Amino acid sequence: MIGLLKSMATTMKHALDGQTFTVEYPEDTPEVSPRFRGVHKFSQERCIWCRQCESVCPNDTIQIVQDDQRNGEQYNLHIGQCIYCRLCEEVCPVDAILLTQNFEFTADTKDELAYNKEQLKNVPWYKDIDPLEAREPDRGAWIGEGEGEVDYQ
Amino acid sequence: MSLEKPVPDAPDEVGVTEDGLDYDALEELVSEHVIDRESHVNAEALVIRPDAVQDTLSALKEEAGFDHCSAVTAQEYEDRYESIYHLKKFDDPTQQLSVVVPANKDEPVSESAESVYRTADWHEREAYDLVGIEYDDHPDLRRILLPETWQGHPMGKDYNQNQPQVVPLREHVNPLAEDHSAGEDSDTMFVNIGPHHPATHGVLHVKTVLDGEQIADIDPDIGYLHRNEEQMCEQSTYRHQIMPYPDRWDYTPGGILNEWAYARAAESMADIEVPEYAQVLRTMSAELTRIAAHMLALGTFGLDVYGDFNAIFMYAVRDREAVQNILEDLTGQRLMFNYFRLGGVSWDVPEPREEFFEKIREFLDGLPEYIEEYHNLITENEIFQLRCIDTGILPPEVAKNYGATGPVLRGSGVDYDLRRDDPYGYYDELDWNVVTEDGCDNYSRVLVRMREVEESAKIIRQCVDLLEDWPEDDREIQANVPRTLRPEADKEVYEAVEGAKGELGIYMRSDGTDKPARFKIRSPCFSNLQTLPEMSEGEYIPDMVASLGSLDIVLGEVDR
Amino acid sequence: MVESAPLPETFSDLLGLEQFGVAGEFLAGLLAAGLVGTFVLLNTAVAGPWAKRKITASFTDRISVNRVGPWGLGTIIVDSVRLLSKELIIPEDADRPAYDLAPLVLAGSALLGFAVIPMGNGIQVADPEVGLAYVFAVASIASLGLLMAGYSSSNKYSFLGGLRAVAQNLAYEIPLVLTGASVVIFAGTLQMSEIVAAQQETLLQLGPVAIPTWFGILNPFAFALFVVANLAEVGRNPFDIPEAPTEIVAGYQTEYSSVYFVLFYLGEFIHIFLGGALIATLFLGGPAGPILPGIVWFTIKIWAVFLFTQWARSALPRVRIDQLIEIGWKGLLVLSFANLILTAVIVGVVGV
Repeated sequence: MIGLLKSMATTMKHALDGQTFTVEYPEDTPEVSPRFRGVHKFSQERCIWCRQCESVCPNDTIQIVQDDQRNGEQYNLHIGQCIYCRLCEEVCPVDAILLTQNFEFTADTKDELAYNKEQLKNVPWYKDIDPLEAREPDRGAWIGEGEGEVDYQ
Repeated sequence: MSLEKPVPDAPDEVGVTEDGLDYDALEELVSEHVIDRESHVNAEALVIRPDAVQDTLSALKEEAGFDHCSAVTAQEYEDRYESIYHLKKFDDPTQQLSVVVPANKDEPVSESAESVYRTADWHEREAYDLVGIEYDDHPDLRRILLPETWQGHPMGKDYNQNQPQVVPLREHVNPLAEDHSAGEDSDTMFVNIGPHHPATHGVLHVKTVLDGEQIADIDPDIGYLHRNEEQMCEQSTYRHQIMPYPDRWDYTPGGILNEWAYARAAESMADIEVPEYAQVLRTMSAELTRIAAHMLALGTFGLDVYGDFNAIFMYAVRDREAVQNILEDLTGQRLMFNYFRLGGVSWDVPEPREEFFEKIREFLDGLPEYIEEYHNLITENEIFQLRCIDTGILPPEVAKNYGATGPVLRGSGVDYDLRRDDPYGYYDELDWNVVTEDGCDNYSRVLVRMREVEESAKIIRQCVDLLEDWPEDDREIQANVPRTLRPEADKEVYEAVEGAKGELGIYMRSDGTDKPARFKIRSPCFSNLQTLPEMSEGEYIPDMVASLGSLDIVLGEVDR
Repeated sequence: MVESAPLPETFSDLLGLEQFGVAGEFLAGLLAAGLVGTFVLLNTAVAGPWAKRKITASFTDRISVNRVGPWGLGTIIVDSVRLLSKELIIPEDADRPAYDLAPLVLAGSALLGFAVIPMGNGIQVADPEVGLAYVFAVASIASLGLLMAGYSSSNKYSFLGGLRAVAQNLAYEIPLVLTGASVVIFAGTLQMSEIVAAQQETLLQLGPVAIPTWFGILNPFAFALFVVANLAEVGRNPFDIPEAPTEIVAGYQTEYSSVYFVLFYLGEFIHIFLGGALIATLFLGGPAGPILPGIVWFTIKIWAVFLFTQWARSALPRVRIDQLIEIGWKGLLVLSFANLILTAVIVGVVGV
């Protein structure tokens, strides 16, 4: 009996303290960590079309089309397929890709979730946070050469 | 030091010597069946005749003490099929042995190990389903992950991806046509619990035969979430591309613990040394995820036993949220962390460091109060005790035989925790305890999780202290690992870590390229779920639901 | 409190319906029933879509409905429209007349019970001498409705739920009635207004606070028994096993949708309020209370009981079906008999 009363006292205590831990979402947007990985932003000015992001992407989310001069023509990102692993941002040698803090996007069909480079450029910053200021992309993993022969893939 | 495992009273096991296993003695023990010997990274392997599996394994189990069949890996080579039984000991999981059973390419048949290790039942069904090896003497060799109408075995070499994979029911034996009722005058009733049911924690289908309210027969049907993650990993590079996937097996979130399983296997295969500072970071983040995962387990168990208006779920989620906020600061995501890299972690703790440590400490300081609240709300509640004590009994011997691990096994009183018994990371330097409960019932399993949260908090606190005092010029978070990792061909490794649900093992075989030739996941939930019939036959439906909740399965990890 | 005539008579006096004879009496009764029914339905309408959510949310530290109207009260309308506009799906193998009648039986039986409850200020449709027996009788028709629903849905979960509901109601109806009988021994009558009247005296005068002779205060043991048995009767935690969403999906109402579901949902809440009304009448002095009018006190009391059921839901696990039956037959039944006999002995000896 005492246990039952204790249980009921516990929930009543929570009811009476008036605190809530859920928030009213669109009005009261959550704080996002500086390292948070959201929708990509792509900067064509910086991109050198090295295609490293395309090859490191685990599930072919990034598609790059080049002309025969190896100049970039298209940069497409199937955002609905992206798993936000941040490997593309990590591998990019010129900070052309940034995963912004923006996690709010929606679409009615799958096709609308495929973004081209213009759309990616126009991804808004979330609450004006520039992730580059907040986090230094750590490229330690990408300049590692190991003990053996250097492999410039 | 609290981390000493109680020494078992030195059983007379073949092959045990002062300095590790004497594989020659083991080979001697089953010499009449052995045709070859291989060397895997983690252990030696005996290649045996396919018709002597039961003899060999039972000799190894009875006389050499290999009582834990961790996993069964099946794979196809150019010239043969192969099943590997990864054997361990519950007393000392560092003593490992692999038993390789080759099978004929044209007619892949080998003897089933089901009569020796009950756990081999589902593992062999999976091997049959995905690779196509047939097991003689298996009691119930059906497909397990794929639908019964599936054509071919997708991990076989000659599998044609382009052919229709599922044929219409009319072209195949219709699984629905089977009459489940046992005749007109039968007292039983067949009920499908799931795949969509409030209590199955995902898409699990439990075929249940009820006798009144009691369960006469029960058969979990899995595979609704199957995506063949193993094949996905086989198509990804070791160095970076595999790491995001383990997060998605156990999304409760056991992500970092899962990543560690892959990291451990790959590092052991490629012989990568992880810097100590990174090990501390790994240990801390992994224990944070363990708390988050156990909190969710507690909350959903509350849902199962209390009903959907109970407060526990929300309280547990509130505390889990605190952990996720910390993890978000550290890794950048709340569920799918992708925090580990081979040879280290991707990030040091965020600046300003003091603030981050303060945040963790604040959470840890609040934790005892929360746990007290849970005890008030749950474990001390008489009705809860009425419901959970002595229901869903899983005796330790049965649990071992089924290969149950993690809180499920520790709730049955078996002192087995890979963090201590097969140390990795920074665990062996820290002061913490392995939690066991002797009740073998639903209540013990819940209690084990709650107490493990406290132990994890202890570990995290020590890690934070260590990180805080770590000299600034020695904060190396990643070892020097080549950009492209190409382990030499034909290296085989099986390594396991203690995930949130139990022993999460990865088997990998290299073929000289930058992608694994075979990637096998030993999921703890998969083995744990197998014990459900043992626990719930003869019990009431509510107890079955509670047992299912106390097993704490994640269907993403069961089905992979 | 002013002794007042039942509501139909008040109506006929007010509107001069007496001249129409039987027809006038019938009309007056209809008006009274309409008023009481509206009152009850109003309460359930507030409780179902809105108060229940708010209460559960505050126990679980959430915000809950607040978008439509002030404090989210508009949800009541929105939800009714939503629920009523849903497609009515009837299973192919449903046993039609039974399937259609079940929701009506459930909701109707609970509403009928309110006919004899004195709500203060003379709001009482009828005041028969067997009032209490009548309430128990009509309230237990509900289990018939549950069985009909469970059996006719042609769904195994519904079937199990229906059987559970019947087993549970059988096991808890008897302690409920027996505990109610101990009140009857105190009051010496089955008539509801008399039972209320018997609780109006002052037991103790503590300064300005007068403690009345409510039976809940005179016999707290019977009160506790009645509250527990009532929880089982209305199927709320820890006794919500006829529904038990995590075990048998939604029990007897698994196959019901749209209007039928609304009726079930409504019926459940009316049942909780009927239970509350019974507790209030038998143990808490009915509509009695200082300053505020009787009907307000009555409403407060039934809402307090409703709050208690939601509170129990947030903190108590549901018991297993066999444990429930065991608690009912071996525990509550014995205790309620003991209570009855003790009450009888005490009343006999002391001679209240």
